[in-house]
Amino acid sequence: MSKSLQDNICESQLFERLYKKHSKNLHDFLYYKFGDHLNPEDKVQEAFIKLWQNCGKVAPNKAKSYLFTTANNLMLNAFAHQKVVLRYNNKPQKTSTNETPEFLLQEKEYHQKLQTALSKLTEAQRVAFLMNRVEGKRFKEIAELLDISVKGVEKRIYGALKKLREDIDEL
Amino acid sequence: MKREELIKKWLDHNLNTEEQNAFEQLEDYNELIKMNEALKHFKAPDFSIDQTYETLKTNLEVKKSNLNHWLKPFLKIAAILAIGFSIYYYTTTLDTHVNTVIAEQTTVQLPDHSTVALNSNSTLTFNKKDWSDNRELKLHGEAFFKVAKGKKFDVITTDGIVSVLGTQFNIKQRESYFEVTCYEGLVAVTHKHNTTTLKPGDTFKIIDGKLLANEKENAMQPQWLRGESSFKSVPLKYVIAEFKNQYKQNIITENIDLSRLFTGSFTHNNLDLALKSVTIPLNLSYSQSGESILLKRE
Repeated sequence: MSKSLQDNICESQLFERLYKKHSKNLHDFLYYKFGDHLNPEDKVQEAFIKLWQNCGKVAPNKAKSYLFTTANNLMLNAFAHQKVVLRYNNKPQKTSTNETPEFLLQEKEYHQKLQTALSKLTEAQRVAFLMNRVEGKRFKEIAELLDISVKGVEKRIYGALKKLREDIDEL
Repeated sequence: MKREELIKKWLDHNLNTEEQNAFEQLEDYNELIKMNEALKHFKAPDFSIDQTYETLKTNLEVKKSNLNHWLKPFLKIAAILAIGFSIYYYTTTLDTHVNTVIAEQTTVQLPDHSTVALNSNSTLTFNKKDWSDNRELKLHGEAFFKVAKGKKFDVITTDGIVSVLGTQFNIKQRESYFEVTCYEGLVAVTHKHNTTTLKPGDTFKIIDGKLLANEKENAMQPQWLRGESSFKSVPLKYVIAEFKNQYKQNIITENIDLSRLFTGSFTHNNLDLALKSVTIPLNLSYSQSGESILLKRE
């Protein structure tokens, strides 16, 4: 009885813990799925505000799915089926570089191919793949986040890798 | 098959040393590593948990402050109460006006159960507030007062102040005509700083600024309360003026001495009879045309 009272999301300490645990993953999920032109950071905030408003109705163990579903819906509402473009962040160039200009050009070309190939992946593939490659998450963690099996995650990621390589070779 | 397994394990960050070596031997190892390095550039923008939580918290505070909205309806109710109270206060302290038009009589009950019978074409003004301490009213026209016992009771007219202590009296204040008749008790009339005391049956009469001799009045009530206006040695013009108060018809006189004295009465509800009561004793004739009546010598 006392435990269920303590586990109320309306309790600001628990709410803060939930935020610290899920906000970054939620943000990354939205970013890899929809790109950045719909401002995933705002959607994270909105989703958490919604959770706060409904804190009495959502059980703490359901909070994560609630947040992901809410944020996903918020995105879909704003989403006008634009092509997903992930921003390529150039790391600050070293002033002196020992790479040849030819190599730099090739590298730039490769990045553009990769960007196009990424936008061709399905949303499910891209989210799982980039969570794994960029954020360095293991299959099991991703499976928990997306509420799917580990096998499913493995399939998505391996499929994404295969498709990317084929697309890049083609381009 | 072995190759796919190795790649999957690499993907899952789950290679042991032996497998790592085998993986590095794969012919597409370099390509995989190249892609892997390039992918790092697609990293999501930095998401600062603490900083965004601060922003979120301020948004949540705003939501919380909505809980204080009980204050708004409370203020609304308070405003309505304040307005309502001030209207109530304003209207209750306002003077009460009672008007009668021509051919209308009315009776007014004062807060202390004194009664005022108001004759036609008259105005009575008084204030209900503090009535028990300050019994004061203003009169234009004619009225009969039955005053309940109590403190000083003042009737203020343009011609003088009439003060009493529980009595019955009649005041008639028309244009250049002022008459007070006491029927019971004692009445004091202050006219131009002279105070006259009236005993029951006494009449105080000023016509055209001249004080007329007192005459005994035997009736218990003024005649007008019984639907008649009665006069004792009153110039004709005041009789006609009173006639105009009781009947809507306009009266035009032709070659008549308006200062002739008239003694008698006329009724309030029969025009023909009333005209006869006034004209016959004075040897006058009258003719009626529409709303106006012409009086002339026979």
